[in-house]
Amino acid sequence: MRRDADKEEAAVYQRVVRKNGAPYHYLKTHLVLEDESVRLSAVELKLFIISGLKNLYGEVGAALTFDLLKYNEDTLSALLRVHSRGLVKLWSSLTLLGSFQGQACCLQGPAGVSVPAGAVRKQS
Amino acid sequence: MCADLERIPRTLLVSERSSFQNQKNQLSAHVGQHHFNYKVSVLLPECGSAPPLLDAALNGFSSFYLIRNLPVYMLLDQDFLQTAVHQGSVYGLSFGCRVDEDPCVALMPNGRLVLSLDKDSFELLGFERKKYRFTKRATSRYVVSVNFSDSSMTPGGRGYQRLLTGLKTHLPLVVDFLVSHHPGGTTALQPLLSRYDWSEHRPSVSTRCLANLPCPLLTSDLQSCDPHSVLDWLGAVDADVSCENSSSSFLSTMVCPEPKTTASSALNVSVSGFLNPHEIHHLIQELRSYLDQSQLASWVALTVHGFTDSPVSWAGDERSVLWSGNTFYSLLLFKDDTYQLHLATGAHHTCPP
Repeated sequence: MRRDADKEEAAVYQRVVRKNGAPYHYLKTHLVLEDESVRLSAVELKLFIISGLKNLYGEVGAALTFDLLKYNEDTLSALLRVHSRGLVKLWSSLTLLGSFQGQACCLQGPAGVSVPAGAVRKQS
Repeated sequence: MCADLERIPRTLLVSERSSFQNQKNQLSAHVGQHHFNYKVSVLLPECGSAPPLLDAALNGFSSFYLIRNLPVYMLLDQDFLQTAVHQGSVYGLSFGCRVDEDPCVALMPNGRLVLSLDKDSFELLGFERKKYRFTKRATSRYVVSVNFSDSSMTPGGRGYQRLLTGLKTHLPLVVDFLVSHHPGGTTALQPLLSRYDWSEHRPSVSTRCLANLPCPLLTSDLQSCDPHSVLDWLGAVDADVSCENSSSSFLSTMVCPEPKTTASSALNVSVSGFLNPHEIHHLIQELRSYLDQSQLASWVALTVHGFTDSPVSWAGDERSVLWSGNTFYSLLLFKDDTYQLHLATGAHHTCPP
């Protein structure tokens, strides 16, 4: 009887659909500077993004918490994580960042996904 | 305005729990319906090196082909239809095309051809389209979908002639095209390979050995650990992102979900290319065998990523181009022959079946 019950439990099918439940979104982005020889540390990049949030959304915007999960100093590419509610603010401020220490710059190709597994673009 | 700034993009996560003992489990169907696979990542806790059979499965994905400057009307070629589309399973996807900007083409093993076009290209082609579901205002993308098993799409049929004329004369689309065929390989694809410049590619395999990896305590119960947290953690491991941060760290506060344990060693293997669902299925069977024989590991994880620029989503259904994000699924296998399958899709895609 007990073995039959165990088999029955193992064979149970369960399906759960979660809508809009992802707590975080992930952004993969790449900083392009006018002077390509300039290098930033991870801390400098995060401060730069925070300054962009402050310029666009003020002190409250600058308090938006986000994580710099991974950063490559050679290619200036970064993987960011932000709470889903802060995605629009972060993404818009990244898009509108236009200068770094007096030189023109842009943050290329922010691609937003809900899990880090998805933050990989097909290689072209 | 504040509500718009805090708008959360729509996401869907379907979590299934079942057992391989359950005759009605749908794992094979899900794997088979995810036609276009860019990358497979495997995480084996408490493992230093893969056993021979598993290693053979990981390194045994078959070659795929990149055809340069393929005129899309050649996908309607009668020889190609006979040898590749109507026999075995053909998988084809345009390469180097951005789904929100360029015409994209997908050819599925069930004989469906999907063209994702902008307005001007669609009007030039002169063929009927499927209604695009994901936006109420005038859409910027038009999806043309035909099935070669329909009577009107057999060579000489009315739909076939009309599409052929459209692609040959009105809209002579040319794309780089990734293609593979199961089980035929180059033989089945000769009608295309013999006429155009092509190159054969092997999937690339990369392996990382991880030491002292913090892992969440996973069981087959869907309630034991939040699936979003588990997927975040799996993605972090695959992307080589550290989860050993403190809450006061400036750069990152990402941590392993609780409750957690530490695996003294783990193997992370990634295979990337244009991967065949049949071989992914074979890999899953080898992972089951490995888990059955392993004395240390209580689970293994497999994640399969789709292509970001594929014009189709699950089961060949349409996908949105408004937000980035590919479809993917993660499979957690457990020792008692149960599994958890998490199917994720981005904003404005159809729900996985």
